Amino acid sequence: MGAEAVDAWIREFARLIAANKDELTALDSAIGDGDHGTNMDRGLTAVVSMLDAEPQATPSALFKKVGMTLISKVGGASGPLYGTAFLRMAAAAGDEVDLAKVLRAALDGVIARGKAEPGDKTMVDALAPAVDALEAGAGLAAAAEAAAKGRDATIPLVARKGRASYLGERSAGHADPGATSVTLLLTAAATTLGDQN
Amino acid sequence: MVGLVVVCHSRPLARAAVALASEMTQGRPLAIEVAAGLDETTFGTDAVAISEAIAAADSGDGVVVLMDLGSAVLSAELALEMVDEPGRVVLSPAPLVEGLVAAAVAAASGADRHEVADEARNGLAGKQSHLEQDVAVEQTPAGGTTVKVINKHGLHARPAARLVTEIRAFDARVELRNATTGTGWVPASSLTRVATLGALQNHELEVRGEGREAAEAVNRVVALAAAAFGETDAEDADHPRGGGASPGIGTGPALRIREAAIDLPDAPSQGSATEWRRLESALDDVRQEIARLHSPIFDAHRLLLDDDDLLADVRARLDRNEAAPQAWSAATARTAAAFDALTDPYLRGRAADVRAVSQQVLRALLKLPTPAPDGDGVLLAADLTPAEAAALDPERITGVVLAAGSPTSHAAILTRTRGIPAVVGAGPQILQIPDGTLIAMDGSTGEVVADPSEPVLATFRARAQQQRVRRNEALTRAAAPAVTTGGVPIEVGANIGSVEDARAAAANGADLAGLVRTEFLFLDRDEAPTVDEQVAVYRAIAEALGGRRITLRTLDAGSDKPLRYLPPPAEANPFLGVRGLRHSLAHPAMFAEQLTAIVRVARETPVSVMFPMVTTVDELRAARAMLAEAGDAPGLQVGMMVEVPAAALRAAEFVPYVDFFSIGTNDLTQYTLAAERGNAALLSLTSGLDPAVAQLIDHVGRAAGDRVLVAVCGELAGDEAAVPRLLASGVRELSVAPSLVPLVKQAVRAA
Repeated sequence: MGAEAVDAWIREFARLIAANKDELTALDSAIGDGDHGTNMDRGLTAVVSMLDAEPQATPSALFKKVGMTLISKVGGASGPLYGTAFLRMAAAAGDEVDLAKVLRAALDGVIARGKAEPGDKTMVDALAPAVDALEAGAGLAAAAEAAAKGRDATIPLVARKGRASYLGERSAGHADPGATSVTLLLTAAATTLGDQN
Repeated sequence: MVGLVVVCHSRPLARAAVALASEMTQGRPLAIEVAAGLDETTFGTDAVAISEAIAAADSGDGVVVLMDLGSAVLSAELALEMVDEPGRVVLSPAPLVEGLVAAAVAAASGADRHEVADEARNGLAGKQSHLEQDVAVEQTPAGGTTVKVINKHGLHARPAARLVTEIRAFDARVELRNATTGTGWVPASSLTRVATLGALQNHELEVRGEGREAAEAVNRVVALAAAAFGETDAEDADHPRGGGASPGIGTGPALRIREAAIDLPDAPSQGSATEWRRLESALDDVRQEIARLHSPIFDAHRLLLDDDDLLADVRARLDRNEAAPQAWSAATARTAAAFDALTDPYLRGRAADVRAVSQQVLRALLKLPTPAPDGDGVLLAADLTPAEAAALDPERITGVVLAAGSPTSHAAILTRTRGIPAVVGAGPQILQIPDGTLIAMDGSTGEVVADPSEPVLATFRARAQQQRVRRNEALTRAAAPAVTTGGVPIEVGANIGSVEDARAAAANGADLAGLVRTEFLFLDRDEAPTVDEQVAVYRAIAEALGGRRITLRTLDAGSDKPLRYLPPPAEANPFLGVRGLRHSLAHPAMFAEQLTAIVRVARETPVSVMFPMVTTVDELRAARAMLAEAGDAPGLQVGMMVEVPAAALRAAEFVPYVDFFSIGTNDLTQYTLAAERGNAALLSLTSGLDPAVAQLIDHVGRAAGDRVLVAVCGELAGDEAAVPRLLASGVRELSVAPSLVPLVKQAVRAA
């Protein structure tokens, strides 16, 4: 898998974020500060402009540029979290991108940055099962499925991290917006990368 | 100094927090950087911006980062992965506002980054102990000294900050407790802990200390309490801040100008009328000397010179056949004694004003020289008259600290010309420092430390050494042309007010005299200089500069700088009156003589002539017509000062009539901002390059294009920080005090 495939994946992720912007914001309004959709869309719009202006030659360089762009443009907590994820992916990507390996690095980065554990109602709850599935040899479609299950499992949880944690019990009853956007990332991978992995 | 970085979601919030914290440090400089918001209005944080802010705030002593919540924390952690020296950065868990205020005070007093972080972490202590009902009262043995808080609003933040800052300078652990309310002991080195004392007016504080300098530190607390911790009523009204006025480091014992007792001559009265005329002439001299200062600190002096009661007493004594010196001396002594007898300390302080004015008039009467400080060290004074500033010996006076004044005051300009480091507007508390106390001061940053501890002194010495190295580097390249990194050559000239200045300019490598203030030939004398005399002096200046171009500014007089032989009409506002070119056009005979002298010199040596205070094109055309009358000289360049905003705004209309513009930033700043440059309370407006003034300079630069050279001859031209901005506006010549030429050339080379 080369830079072009990764490019397509990221663009599809950006499209899905834009298409689901209002839903993400609605979820975040229910349990946080209501900016996840807007912030992610701003960040990924900037990523697409960057990809148009400066095409990257290798997956590693591309992941790094995406990470740096998100860090500067998202604004909310998902900026440093997604930013860290993509920077770790850049470090883990060799000549051949092993998706299980780079997404494991991303998961480790998100956990280190956000100090979240599974069950805290965060991005981790969707990303961890997806990585587990890939490492067990499943395909991308199955990994995306695992992420979606993880996302749905956050609905009854009480948030323990981020702005949502201020709401305590009131945060239960809605899916976590971060887990939702991570699921979109995996869905985009399944759509664009298909069987390449 | 430890740098601070403020990370938060909102840029306006961060700026406001910084403003609040900056208020606490009494004008001491802070290295605070803000990384907040994605832009002016979008909430968010950006790790890249934070890492840049950390790099900018770090001068080698490390950085403490204060954050608000959520992504601010995550982005700051991510930023640590991007900086070069993450080991020097402390991320503080303190609440943003309280933590920043506490950290700012600790950083300004020279604490290291761990102490700063500790102070920030304790930032909530004051609020907690205020709101929580049961504050544990630590039972401790009594001891030490007791002081009373006299401040009207108690030991609130600003006086507490002063206390903490001063006590930190001692090698001692000082503790305080509020004896009136019975609190526990708290360290006097911690602002947040001092705040928990809740010390109101008339509360008594117990002070104790241990360590090498414990006794001195406790004494300092006693002295500070007696002086209301440096807080004055006037300070509440406006916050004068110390400002650097002449760069360089000065250390040495505190000195004052000592008034030697004046021996009154035993000459008999020449008759009441004659003696009155003698006195009136002396009073006039002193009035003019004071008027030239534009310093509110001498307002009281000026009022005394016209005091009916005092002058009636003097007249009565003259009528009794006393000579003028005796009559004046006795009458002022009586007035001073009357002030001495008052209970109000403010009014009692006016006795000193009376005595100072009395001496000044006596010196004028008896033609005695201006007193100079006796000894070597750092001179402390309320303000200096130009005569006093001019009499300072740079070999003996290592620095000057003035309670009043501003960087553009005459005293400041004179210290700069003479290369003596100076801080102005340092506040009345400096006058309470005992003679002989070791003083360390920095004329670039405005810092003044009395009785510094050894480490503090060492940092000043290190800075002085650094500046010497920089200055030597600059001096070795002083004679070489100054060219920007972009390859643009910039002429760096000197502002000159005497032949001696011209020699100093040549020695410092000036490319030309960018401004010759011809007033020095006209002021302080009984008749205007003749054409021949002017020619001789202008020629001497050109010779002292080795034939480099001299820019002669025609007489800039008016009721702000009055001429004895052309007494100006009374004006309510001399700065907005008949001055500069307006004055010259109103006195065409004298103007024609000056132009004749200038044209004659221009036939021998490269000369530029420029007109001050031009407002309209008609004035400039009238001046040029008179210049044409005075004759022709090949190579004579003609220019105008741009110091009136109207002229700056209409610069394009003036272009056809000049070869160059010279922007006088001092007057342009004061006219644009409606802020008198001698007023210490307006220092924050008048120091540095104001954006509105920068915009006017841009405008002039654009109007001038390639057709007309743009020069700057105000104080800003010598401000290394402003130089790149001026060059970007199209300025191609800078003219500064002779001693600054080498450093300004270096600033140009770096731009």
